Amino acid sequence: MGNLTTKIIGVITALLIFISLYLIFGYAPIEDTMFEVQKIFYYHVSAALTVYLAFGLNCVFSVKYLIQRKPNDDLLASAAAELGLIFCTIVLLSGPIWARYAWNTWWNWEPRLTSTLVLWLMYVGYFILRSALESDRRSVYSAVLGVIAFLDVPIVHFATKFWESEVHPERGAKFDIELPMLYTWMVALLALIMLFVYLLIVRYGMKKAQMRYEVIQQKHLREAA
Amino acid sequence: MRIFVLAGFIVVLGLCFFATQIPVSITSDKVEEAVSDAVSESELPVDGDIVEQVVLRSLEILDAGQRRRLTYLFGAYIIIWLVFMLYVLRLEQQQRLLNQRLTQLEIISDVQETDQEQ
Repeated sequence: MGNLTTKIIGVITALLIFISLYLIFGYAPIEDTMFEVQKIFYYHVSAALTVYLAFGLNCVFSVKYLIQRKPNDDLLASAAAELGLIFCTIVLLSGPIWARYAWNTWWNWEPRLTSTLVLWLMYVGYFILRSALESDRRSVYSAVLGVIAFLDVPIVHFATKFWESEVHPERGAKFDIELPMLYTWMVALLALIMLFVYLLIVRYGMKKAQMRYEVIQQKHLREAA
Repeated sequence: MRIFVLAGFIVVLGLCFFATQIPVSITSDKVEEAVSDAVSESELPVDGDIVEQVVLRSLEILDAGQRRRLTYLFGAYIIIWLVFMLYVLRLEQQQRLLNQRLTQLEIISDVQETDQEQ
């Protein structure tokens, strides 16, 4: 992707983040039960949905790599997983703040929280595996782990349906949300997805440059020998 | 990119700090005035001092509750931006390291070419 396109995406992302913050703090009404704390929802839920997207992309490119064995697919898969892990960290850190106010506890071993923590740990394992193996085996093994780890995403999503949850609303449960809140959430979701896309492009570019550097370095070492 | 994230984080941090410092818009003078008006308008016998104390205490409770909620809210947003900022700083560091390595590689390549020419 061209440098100009990346810059345009960066500017659009910055504008969307700014607009979303304005909408969250200046436009969206204060909710009746959680009051100001409810505003955490806009970035918390948006980050959670971006995690699905990131790990979904990781799974798609991992499968693509296993079929076609193109190094670029492996780079894209690992870049998506890295960003998914960042967004998942945000979900796991902002959630307990909500929990502390709403349920008077920082952490609760309920299905969705536990499965999200398991998801986070699986992708931490993905990067431990990548750093532990040499380049030829690294791509194949991490692609397999990427596909396996993605199986936890539907478990996280449907956790409240599979098991009774005391804290998270059941998936598909009808909840009234005012239109200004809905618009604010949509903009926040779009802002985080754009941020993900922008960082993915940047990270992919960096990984590609790193790979080229390693290839040239190995060539030089061979020539020197 | 690093400057953009740093600036964004500082702005959010500043907003959070100032938002939690917002004073209560209803001061004790205003309460005293409102209670006095309400007592004078009331048809029932009311002790103005007691009503004023109750209203002031209610305001203190509401104010404390709001401060607590704002602390949670801005705490969450600060953590969110802190994670992004640390990640971008790490990317920046990796990019700098890669540039240094590429420069070293170019120098080695130039030296090898010179040796081959000689």
